Amino acid sequence: MHSVLQRGNAILAYALSVLACLTFACFISTVFLDYRTNAGMNTVKVVVKNVPDYSAAREKNDLGFLTFDLQTNLTGLFNWNVKQLFLYLTAEYETANNKLNQIVLWDKIILRGETAVLDFKNMNTKYYFWDDGDGLRGNKNITLTLSWNIIPNAGLLPNVFAHGQHSFKFPDEYTTSRM
Amino acid sequence: MDFEGQATAEKLSRIIITLFGVVGLVWGYIIQQFSQTVYILGAGFVLAALLTIPPWPMYRRKPLNWQPVRDGTESTNKESTKKGKKK
Repeated sequence: MHSVLQRGNAILAYALSVLACLTFACFISTVFLDYRTNAGMNTVKVVVKNVPDYSAAREKNDLGFLTFDLQTNLTGLFNWNVKQLFLYLTAEYETANNKLNQIVLWDKIILRGETAVLDFKNMNTKYYFWDDGDGLRGNKNITLTLSWNIIPNAGLLPNVFAHGQHSFKFPDEYTTSRM
Repeated sequence: MDFEGQATAEKLSRIIITLFGVVGLVWGYIIQQFSQTVYILGAGFVLAALLTIPPWPMYRRKPLNWQPVRDGTESTNKESTKKGKKK
């Protein structure tokens, strides 16, 4: 501590240690919070086609199309350790090929400060609903769930499932007309 | 800066930074903005740096009383220079 540089170094090191402690306190203050909340969703229009997937092989696979409604209020999820939420809508179903299929159909980033009250009507999906075979036509039980990934200042990156889900079925016939 | 001044400076800087850190944590929690916590800690760092890094007169009140320089005999001078070189 006898020179200017030594004192500067000591103060900076101590301030950074304190910053680390504060960040840890911020993490501890939010790690036990329950980030689940209710979300309502519904499907409006559901059709299925059997078309070649040129992005993979050229075999014909089932391709589902759907539009959906989504209502939820995520305002309560934001606190001083949540920078943004990454929402994603997952379709989950069982086919003869696979016991469990999970497809992300839509996602959205909500930054803190943006409006977090969502009320979407008749939304299109962002991503294709490809099955890896013909498991969609006549499938009786497709479950939509909403989840979010919390991006914090410090700490864990939990994936949280919303309360509430919606099950629907695909029609028994392929749609051949253009949409 | 004398010895006691160094001790005072270190103690003072730690108190300032810790205080600003705690206040920043409480304030940041109240308004739910962690960035405010970081800024307040930064202000504490700047204040502590201004108060304790430059050798202000308040840290130089008790200078060491060095032994007066002797009229050195040559032998002692040589020994001391040798020791100095070894270090």
